[in-house]
Amino acid sequence: MTQSTSDNQQPLFGVIAEYDTPTAIYNASKKVRDAGYNRWDTYTPFPIHGIEKAMGIRMTKLPWIVICATLTGLTTAILLQWWTNAVDYKWLISGKPFWSWPANVPIMFELSVLFSAFATIFGMLVLNNLPLFSHPLDLKERFRRVSDDKFFLVIEASDPKFDHGATTELLNATTPVVLEEVRDERTSSTAVPKPLVYILLLGLFGSLVPFALFAKARSSTMREGRIHVVWDMDFSPSYKPQSDNIHYSDERGMRSPVTGTVARGHLNADEHLHLGKQENGTYALTLPSTVAANDDIMKRGKVQFETYCSPCHGTAGDGNGIVHKRAEALGGAWVPPANLLSDHVRSQEAGKLFNTITNGYNSMKGYASQIEAEDRWAIILYLRALQNSQGIAASELPEAERAQLK
Amino acid sequence: MADDKNSSKTGEKAQASSGPQAQPMPNGDTIVLPAAAAGAGKIALIVGVVSLAIAYFTAGGWQQFSHSYLTAFMWGLSISVGGVWWVMLQHLLGARASVVMRRVGEVIAQGVLLMSVLALVIIVPTVFLHDSTIYQWVNHDYMESSHALHSKVGYLNTTFFFIRMVFYFAFWSLMARWWLKKSMAQDSTKGDVEYTLSLQGKAAPALIGFTIAVTFCAVDFLMSLDAYWFSTIFGIYYFATCVITFHSFLALAIMWLQKKGVLAKSVNAEHFHDIGKMMFAFTCFWSYVGFSQFMLIWYANIPEESHWYHERFEGSWMTASLVLAFFHFIVPFFGMMSRYMKRNPKTLKFWAFYLLAICWFDMYWLVAPNIHHGGVNFQLSDLFAWVGMAGLVVWFFVLKAQKKNLVATGDPRLKRSLAFENI
Repeated sequence: MTQSTSDNQQPLFGVIAEYDTPTAIYNASKKVRDAGYNRWDTYTPFPIHGIEKAMGIRMTKLPWIVICATLTGLTTAILLQWWTNAVDYKWLISGKPFWSWPANVPIMFELSVLFSAFATIFGMLVLNNLPLFSHPLDLKERFRRVSDDKFFLVIEASDPKFDHGATTELLNATTPVVLEEVRDERTSSTAVPKPLVYILLLGLFGSLVPFALFAKARSSTMREGRIHVVWDMDFSPSYKPQSDNIHYSDERGMRSPVTGTVARGHLNADEHLHLGKQENGTYALTLPSTVAANDDIMKRGKVQFETYCSPCHGTAGDGNGIVHKRAEALGGAWVPPANLLSDHVRSQEAGKLFNTITNGYNSMKGYASQIEAEDRWAIILYLRALQNSQGIAASELPEAERAQLK
Repeated sequence: MADDKNSSKTGEKAQASSGPQAQPMPNGDTIVLPAAAAGAGKIALIVGVVSLAIAYFTAGGWQQFSHSYLTAFMWGLSISVGGVWWVMLQHLLGARASVVMRRVGEVIAQGVLLMSVLALVIIVPTVFLHDSTIYQWVNHDYMESSHALHSKVGYLNTTFFFIRMVFYFAFWSLMARWWLKKSMAQDSTKGDVEYTLSLQGKAAPALIGFTIAVTFCAVDFLMSLDAYWFSTIFGIYYFATCVITFHSFLALAIMWLQKKGVLAKSVNAEHFHDIGKMMFAFTCFWSYVGFSQFMLIWYANIPEESHWYHERFEGSWMTASLVLAFFHFIVPFFGMMSRYMKRNPKTLKFWAFYLLAICWFDMYWLVAPNIHHGGVNFQLSDLFAWVGMAGLVVWFFVLKAQKKNLVATGDPRLKRSLAFENI
């Protein structure tokens, strides 16, 4: 039955057997399977139930590829969200922890599904040797009826068990309608078609354009304003500070807080700490219990004193600061800053000093907005030290320092 | 056409008077349960009644027993309610693969008749004795104690509760019986397509009614345990459990029938594969719904919603919640993913028992924190009520499976179902 249609110039691709019925090709498949061939296939106009068993096709490896991709997607989603939320750009959202995993689960789910879907479709293509741009059977005239009413079985010559005589004999025993050789008669290249290559290259270069624009924008300056891609976000319709808003009766855009509103951390409930008052309403004589009189606070007080107080009052606290000297030199009306070492200031309660720093005195303004309450107390501690360091009796000095004076 | 209708009517009567003039099975398989199998049903009945009695006496009070019972009841109800849904769905979709198993599903769905009676244990004290042990909303003073509760009085009152309960169980019982009756009437015809088309057409409105019933049933029995709490997805959460427990029970029921020599040649790995796929899919669906419910409530963090989870995160309830997430999702997700697990009857049997157990634990997780605050307090009555409920469910299944063709031999799609293959 074998008909040699080729002039034997082209290499042999395989042997093709044609059948009229699904049953015939089903039975033929079993015989080829049992003969131990690997590189062969059946071609039918419609799916035939059970043909995969008759052909001895093993379970696909695709699920294993997909599960690996799923776990990769899951890991990617976890790391991406952990890195952006908890490490790289911490942003407090409704008081939740920086890395709130429940909020991240939808993305974990979605990336797992996305990676799985890609692995499924591309894994399927790769495992099926697709895309395949040409095949020796394309040129076989009889083979065209495979999409109509004929069933074909092809054993390829590249199969290690392929032996022209024995293979032909095996297929002959399955009583095909026609049994032929297939020669690879393709004259053009089997590579990717040229137009497709051009389209892919064009797409590749096209996709690089945005990155090129980014690179240019980052490394150059320009006279024009920036390009507004997301208009709504660049020009938000929200009311800006100091703007008007006709929807309120006073037409102000900025609203006062509700009466009694206390900003977080500004309750100032401790009378001693925040007002310098005792329980009976008089000025406190000591530091509040929350501010310890230790070296750290003393150093802190020194820094704060020299930053905020010394320009006028002088680093020694004698009222001879650089601003005072400058004002004296310029002449004109100038109320000299107080000498903090004077008996008048020495006799003031700690609470009274605190009140002065907080709210100001005469031409001195209040420093409550610039210096934290604890730091104001630290300044007072340092100031007391300054006062004690000046004008005390020699008998009160420690032994070592008295020795130095002699 | 007129002849057809006459013949189908006589067919119905013939069925009702127990003379099955049904079409034979194309593959000659046994499709009637042997009389000897009835013994298994009697054993199940004894186990059921004795276990429930033990549960009652070990509970040490109505409060504990009622909650153990409610847990077990919702578990048992989910099996038969899942059956009602599944039978109607097969008709709606014109499913071919499942035809050979559909009668077994129709028999499982009959369980709603039993559940209608067993529900009285909860409904009677609540509605007629105004007992607020299970549902605090029965207590007027409690409902007047806050504005949030007061605004729910229109829904959460015993009269409307009773009306709804009558609707749920009457509707499900009617559906279960009607669909079985029509299907058996078709058995005595030579594949009368009129039946098939009529059942398909009626399945769509029936499923809408079913959805309303299962949603509000879950709200009434489980969600209203905490009168403050509300979750719009809760009905679907319970529905997911219904589908899982039903398919698990279906797989086990068919395996048992095959052991008794019924359906042995008709239901094969292909059909079990389908059941397994549904078990797997709805385990994922349950997780999806359960997590959606949790995440939205966690994110919005509104006190009257989030306290429900807070109760389940306190003390050892936190462990129970993690156990639920791990063993109701992660373990079956990876365990049941493989095709092999669903096609092999031994592994499928394991997963069916496993899912039935974990679904009971889900019910426990929903109900028990209502009375045990601060930590899991597992009682023997929880276990015995569950075993008792399982006994009654099995007994009723065996009872209803007797003296019936266990395959819808009159369904024109039966041959395709027998030849069904997963690709």
